[in-house]
Amino acid sequence: MTSIPADDAAWTYVSRKLINARLISLGIGLAVPAVVLLVVGVFTSPWVFAGLVAIVIPAVWGSWVVVRQVTAHAWMERDEDLVIKRGRMWRATTVVPYGRMQYVEVESGPLDRAFGIAKVQLHTASPGSDAAINGVPRDEAERLRDRLASRGEAQLAGL
Amino acid sequence: MSTQSPPIVYRAPREWTRLHPVSPLLGGWAVFGVVGSIFLYNYAPQWTGVDPELQEGAHWLMGSIIWVLILAAVIVAIAIGIGFLQWRVNQYRLSDDSIEQRKGIIFRQHKQARLDRVQAVDVVQPLMARIFGFASLKVEVAGGENSGVSLDFVRLGDAEAMRNELLALAAGMKRAKAEGREATVDAVVAGADAVAEVDTDGNVGAVPAHGSLRDVVSRPVGVTETQAAPEREVYRVPLKRLLMSIVLSWPFVWIMSIPLFAGAGVFFLNLDVGRVIASFGTSLFTMVPALLALFGFFWNELSRGFGFIAALSEDGIRLRHGMLETRRQTVPPGRVQAVQLQQSLLWRKKDWWRVTINVAGYQDDQEAVSTLLPVGSRQDALTALWLVLPDLGDPDPAGTVSRALSGTGADGGFTPSTRRARLFDPWQWKHRGVRATERALLIRSGALVRYVYVVPHERTQSLSLEEGPLQRKRGVADVHIHSTNGPVKPIARHLDTADAEALLAAQAQRAAEGRKHQTPEQWMSAVGLAADGTEDATPEAAADPVTETSPAPSTTTPSPATPSEPA
Repeated sequence: MTSIPADDAAWTYVSRKLINARLISLGIGLAVPAVVLLVVGVFTSPWVFAGLVAIVIPAVWGSWVVVRQVTAHAWMERDEDLVIKRGRMWRATTVVPYGRMQYVEVESGPLDRAFGIAKVQLHTASPGSDAAINGVPRDEAERLRDRLASRGEAQLAGL
Repeated sequence: MSTQSPPIVYRAPREWTRLHPVSPLLGGWAVFGVVGSIFLYNYAPQWTGVDPELQEGAHWLMGSIIWVLILAAVIVAIAIGIGFLQWRVNQYRLSDDSIEQRKGIIFRQHKQARLDRVQAVDVVQPLMARIFGFASLKVEVAGGENSGVSLDFVRLGDAEAMRNELLALAAGMKRAKAEGREATVDAVVAGADAVAEVDTDGNVGAVPAHGSLRDVVSRPVGVTETQAAPEREVYRVPLKRLLMSIVLSWPFVWIMSIPLFAGAGVFFLNLDVGRVIASFGTSLFTMVPALLALFGFFWNELSRGFGFIAALSEDGIRLRHGMLETRRQTVPPGRVQAVQLQQSLLWRKKDWWRVTINVAGYQDDQEAVSTLLPVGSRQDALTALWLVLPDLGDPDPAGTVSRALSGTGADGGFTPSTRRARLFDPWQWKHRGVRATERALLIRSGALVRYVYVVPHERTQSLSLEEGPLQRKRGVADVHIHSTNGPVKPIARHLDTADAEALLAAQAQRAAEGRKHQTPEQWMSAVGLAADGTEDATPEAAADPVTETSPAPSTTTPSPATPSEPA
């Protein structure tokens, strides 16, 4: 019985570029209220600027969470299955057998493309298996997809 | 009904065939009837008033009703017209490896459901269709919503012929018979008695194998070319038990408690009876939606369990139920992805259980079609579990499952939840536990409402271990077993982290093993396994060629389970 190793050697961690991509999208989300506050503050009272604290705190905390999340996100290819781990606060380890993969999807939005990363999403017949690897380097993602597809084909079992 | 002319022979069409021309009419009528009856109920009392003002109002209403009726008629006519156009392009046929359907006027659809991918076949008869002898055939494949083939409506005989033939094709029964393999039900059922000591005497044989649930009104005048595989009834749900189970449900208890509380209030607190009744009167409006919801609950419970019969045949489990709308399901044993046994607090004294299954192709919200046993004794529940999982991979399956049903802690070799979980799971942690047999994983949970999940290893889609911040602090983790879409969602909660990690690793291994041993997509072998108990070896023994069973074709006796009288 092979247990899932805790040591880092077996895991492939996702690209650190995902941190940048996530920070940018976090920044965009927080920039809008910040700009609104600034404008309102300029035209009314400077006390409004105090509200910026309410934006800075989530920004700092969010950045910290993003860094922690991304550095904990990894995958491991084993003989029979793919193991994905993610999260630190809410830790989840998902095991997806190759023979159960219905299809594999590689998608990358504009931000992902700018950083040359992609998201590899695995689909099984279960809606519960939430198996996605974010921030895989683009060419690696394509290789991973092909590898998964061929292994899936070799081991495919009926429902 | 002519008795002399030769009976019609129904067969599944091999060339493109249209649905029955009456189909467009069958769909809309129910709605029309409901709307009509609502209008009648709402307005009829007012016509009979003696008050002149009321009379005047009634006349005005009548006028408006006529307009409403005309409008309704126009809408219905348009609906029927569109339905007719759709009917013209809606065609189906059976080929040797799939059932095909093409339809659609603007968006043309061509569906192919491969027979070796069929997850379930249902013959559904809504009330209108049932009265006139039509049925809808639903062939489910595991492709999400609307992926299956649905033929609404064809003659009942056509639906049955199609079902029988595609099941026979899919099950490879023709091949089995050609090889002269033993394919009788008796051999299969023999295994049932060994597992759960099913009390089949008296029941079996009382119901004719063929046509026992043919609805009285739509008695077929013909025979189907391919006969339904002979079947043996395994259990049924008597009406008395079903009604009792509804009485022993929280909504019923709740309803009954209202007058009790009111009475207690009047008695002990000296409240004014008139005021209590008046307060009921004023709150009536707010109560109406709640009452409707309750009525819906009772109705669902009743119709899902009414006349429920489970039977076993070569091509799968046969389930029948329904009061106004009847449904006859055929689910091959290998197609059941997960099983849930459930017992509410009120049922505990009677030791009644409900068994629900996940079948790929049935959707999440189709609770009624995912019911394997609406209510039954522990013995029935064990039999139901045996039906879908003939080999639990345990030397004492009945004992193991029994301990799973009512044990706590480490009873029966279960790995219990850790005591550290009591902080955030004070009631249930004692009852939680998980245990793997050779073939399946058993998960036990619930303190007031008891649950037992059974997932065959080879049906596990994927697994995950999840842990929140509080759980991590206490060294506790959950293991989720991902099954296909359905009401059963097996989760082993609050295990010791080390136990959970071991379970995850071991379960991944077992699932991989299970998949390797998984028998191919043929159903026969799955049930056949139970007959001789061996795992992989297909019974090659040259048994006597199975003689064609000849079910009585023309005479059908009304089933004792359907009390509805001939119209």
